[in-house]
Amino acid sequence: MSSRKPATELLRAQVQSGKARRRAPFLFLAPAIIVVFAVLIFPIIFSLFVSTYNWPLSQGAGVRRFVGFGNYTALAQDPEFWNSLKLQLGFIFIAIPIELLFGFAAALLLNREFFGAKIVRSLLLLPVFFLPILSGMTWRFMLQPRYGPLNALLLKLGAPEITWLGNPATAYAAIIVQDIWRMWPFMFMLLYAALTAIPQELMEAAEIDGAGFWLKLRSLTIPLLMPTILTAILLRIIDALRVFSEVYVMTEGGPGSATMLFSLYTQRQAFGYQKVGMASAMAIFLLVLSIVFALTLVRKNMSLDVLEEKAGA
Amino acid sequence: MKRFLKKRTRKIILNSIIAIVAFLVLAIELYPIAITVINGFRRDINILSGQPLQLKQLTFRSYELVLKNAGFRLGMQNSIIVGLLSTAISVMIGAMASYGIARFRFKGRNGLAYSFLVFRMLPQISLVISLYLMFSAVGLRDTITGITLAHTSFNVPYVIWLLLPFFTAVDKAYEEAAMVDGCTRQGVFFKIFLPIVAPGLVVAAVFAFLNSWNEFMYALILTGVKAKTAPIAINGLLGGETLTWGQACAAGTIMLVPVFIFTLAMQKFLIRGITAGGVKG
Repeated sequence: MSSRKPATELLRAQVQSGKARRRAPFLFLAPAIIVVFAVLIFPIIFSLFVSTYNWPLSQGAGVRRFVGFGNYTALAQDPEFWNSLKLQLGFIFIAIPIELLFGFAAALLLNREFFGAKIVRSLLLLPVFFLPILSGMTWRFMLQPRYGPLNALLLKLGAPEITWLGNPATAYAAIIVQDIWRMWPFMFMLLYAALTAIPQELMEAAEIDGAGFWLKLRSLTIPLLMPTILTAILLRIIDALRVFSEVYVMTEGGPGSATMLFSLYTQRQAFGYQKVGMASAMAIFLLVLSIVFALTLVRKNMSLDVLEEKAGA
Repeated sequence: MKRFLKKRTRKIILNSIIAIVAFLVLAIELYPIAITVINGFRRDINILSGQPLQLKQLTFRSYELVLKNAGFRLGMQNSIIVGLLSTAISVMIGAMASYGIARFRFKGRNGLAYSFLVFRMLPQISLVISLYLMFSAVGLRDTITGITLAHTSFNVPYVIWLLLPFFTAVDKAYEEAAMVDGCTRQGVFFKIFLPIVAPGLVVAAVFAFLNSWNEFMYALILTGVKAKTAPIAINGLLGGETLTWGQACAAGTIMLVPVFIFTLAMQKFLIRGITAGGVKG
């Protein structure tokens, strides 16, 4: 194509594209940067600002005044804050290991061909894409004392009726079980993909050398899957830190504050107690926590370089 | 030969056991979803009285009621409008930004790309309170514009990272040839590049739409009567004196239809879709 053009014209095109090259990235990036500034960066800065104020939601709820770090120190002394943090961390530390275990076991078991294997592997992912509010709603229905299917089954077996969501311990267990039900297939999805990417020759070589199932698992499969396992855990932690809608629909944080996870308590502070300053301080706290995990994930994966290596290869 | 047969039978038995266990687990996993769908075809009275499921209970009554329900109709309409608007804006802006990152070398490029990735992972509660105050100040609360803008906040960074692998995989030769022919960078992007990456754009659009479709917290806090989306309307069906399970489940099933169609149609892209940038390549 270029050979048909005179040399001067070619040169001009190159000079033009050189000039454009310096300006062009910003033309392409400007809209995204503007949007991100307006709906992400500015709100964060504003949150920081609000968190240094006693800031009532409506005028009837008090006077707006500067309190410096007052909201943060007040939070540190608020037992409800510590309760929500404890519940949040408990949620993460109980649900995610179980999800990982189930997902890993399923990935190992389903990594073979049997009748219906393909169907099982694809339908298993449906809960992951089930709307969170529908998940909360359905679990709330299943655990209803009078007409819920779980109690109907228990009654038939002769067990007493239990108000699952009316009891602090069982309600907390229920929101965790709900999360495990919905998200272990997510672990399965990532681990299965990584498992099928392991070269078959490696496994065969190990078999020829006489390695049994457990030895292969310990010295081959797990080390090879480790990067994926870590990534999956980090993704789940980041996701679990912001759990809100399914729990809101299921229990609204109750009974009492037995399932008042971090986001639910923040929402309660802002729109229930009308203490927007306190809520903003909580928002900043969670933000910092999330950024730490997100940066760990980003640093670990450095996806941009990997993408380019792939494209160059 | 005997040993071979023995090994073969063992393998068949093992596979059958695994198949049975797998289908049992699948049944447990799908049970709560099935309950939602089935309850949508039952009357509230049959559900609330704890009657066991019978075929003769099945009816479209709850669908009729919920489709006549003004609140749910408005929510559905808003969900579709907000979903389409925020998807269109995010895919347009996100594709441009993704191209900028994929094709140019400039100072701060890595930092910018990674901060988009971090922005995608921020908890909504950390943003929604100041969005509420900001939107209240400028009259955007409970408006389609406001909730669309809020949905754009997670969809733009999401689309940028979902598209990056599609974009970096395109051979630069096409664009270079067009540039030598005197085409501008913008011309190259719109006329040459976008048609090549069209499949990626479709994937990004579908997942961005689903993000918006499933979103609950922003809609709960930033909208009221006028701009509420369908998930808020469904939650409302369960908030009154009587729990209208039948209607809520019928409404939920309606919302579920596009989700599951897209999920099953996009099998190949599910991992990319759900992790967008969080997983290598």
